[in-house]
Amino acid sequence: MNEAIKIEHLFHTYHTGKISTDAINDMTLSVPKGQIFGFLGPNGAGKTTTIKYLLGIFKPKRGTVAVLGGSPSEVEARQKMGYMPENAEYYKYLTPRELLRMYGGVCGLGGTELEKRIDMLLGTVDLIKESDRILKTFSKGMKQRVSFAQSLINDPDLLILDEPTGGLDPVSRKRMRESLLALKREGKTIFFSSHELSEVELISDSIAIVNRGRLLAEGKVSDIVTLKGEKQSLENYFLEIIEEAA
Amino acid sequence: MKAVLSIARGMYLELFRRKDFYVMLICMLALLSILASQRYFNVEGITRYLRDFGYTVVMLFSFLIAVIVSASQIPWEIESGTIYPLIAKPVSRLTIVTAKFFGSFMTGGAAFVAYYAVFVLFCAAQGEGFSVVLFAQAFYLGILFIAMVSAISLFFSVFMTMSAAVTIMMLVYFFVVNFGDALRKYVLGSEGIQFIFGCGIYYLLPHFDFFDMRIRLTHEWGVLPVWILVAITAYTGVYIALLIFCSSALLEKREL
Repeated sequence: MNEAIKIEHLFHTYHTGKISTDAINDMTLSVPKGQIFGFLGPNGAGKTTTIKYLLGIFKPKRGTVAVLGGSPSEVEARQKMGYMPENAEYYKYLTPRELLRMYGGVCGLGGTELEKRIDMLLGTVDLIKESDRILKTFSKGMKQRVSFAQSLINDPDLLILDEPTGGLDPVSRKRMRESLLALKREGKTIFFSSHELSEVELISDSIAIVNRGRLLAEGKVSDIVTLKGEKQSLENYFLEIIEEAA
Repeated sequence: MKAVLSIARGMYLELFRRKDFYVMLICMLALLSILASQRYFNVEGITRYLRDFGYTVVMLFSFLIAVIVSASQIPWEIESGTIYPLIAKPVSRLTIVTAKFFGSFMTGGAAFVAYYAVFVLFCAAQGEGFSVVLFAQAFYLGILFIAMVSAISLFFSVFMTMSAAVTIMMLVYFFVVNFGDALRKYVLGSEGIQFIFGCGIYYLLPHFDFFDMRIRLTHEWGVLPVWILVAITAYTGVYIALLIFCSSALLEKREL
């Protein structure tokens, strides 16, 4: 099993009254282990819906989804998975340390092992000094860093990140990039959705571009941007392919 | 179990850093102080009034905290987006719901303990003595009441918004307290399908009257036989277990 994520012929339709919208339309995608995989698409492309399948929030009615060799709706498959949502408002009267302790406990961790891991993660996200301040007093960027730390609490093999650099200043963004690359060096798989194409280009091994629930392109960044002969920026390629598909 | 306790602890810490609990505690202290001070003006039967009023305030404030805390949990998690990292962790929906129940219960229960302690202190300060066993029984049933209220509010919040869950919970409480007896009499006087239907509703509704010790405390009636406490404990346990099971099944089905 070389794939961390395997999606085959997945469909999803949202029903609002009599109106049906295809959020995912026959999507087939695989993410090899140990890669940083960028999942791109405009708003409403089906990125979040796909992520909900990967987290086991939705169960496939048509198609199959597997993460780390198992179904994400099973607790065992989520043992080695971490998720960072976009703009989550965590419990504002808890401190980052207490929040991480809570998520650690949820993952079955405890004692000195958990405390060491919390210290390490707070160091990684540069929040050691603020570790005993309640989250209510945190800026958006700081909350984002806490969110990143919680996603790593169980030392996951597969990390799913939704817009991880949104709301971060350039320095924090660089640190996040370095953290992701360090995780990759440890053999972790990182699957992230983003609108920041320059970020994606900098760190991704492979990408997939989706629009209106359809997979438009998938492969290595370097291959994708030179598909039409001349090399171009990912941003130009992205805009071109989205316009073509529209 | 570790997952349940971790989530519950987080909820507990949150409550005691918020103002709600302290506002109610100050209100209660003020109300009981005013009532207790009437003793110095030789108002007759003030001890009974103090017990009646004090117990009602303790139950009401603890009820409000338990309902608000438990009804806000799932809707808030969904609204703030924190339900997703929680679901992504290796825990089942049943564990999440159980943890939320225990968190709400611990929080509402802690508020009840604090309020009840103040109430007992005020009663003791009257210097007329009281039955410790009776007060202990009222305390125990109060704790069970908080557990029941937390489980019902949490159940409603799985498929409703927070404000809807709180409103429905209040309506259920109001209906049971005010019309529970009338419903029982109606069911006993009915026949056939009406009797079956009436029985279904009567036994499905939570019997908050089981936990109410107000009159017994006020008039110092005798203590409850142990078998009644055991029966109420069993009833509460079964009711809560069913609610947690149904809540987790609903959360499993809900498209988040």
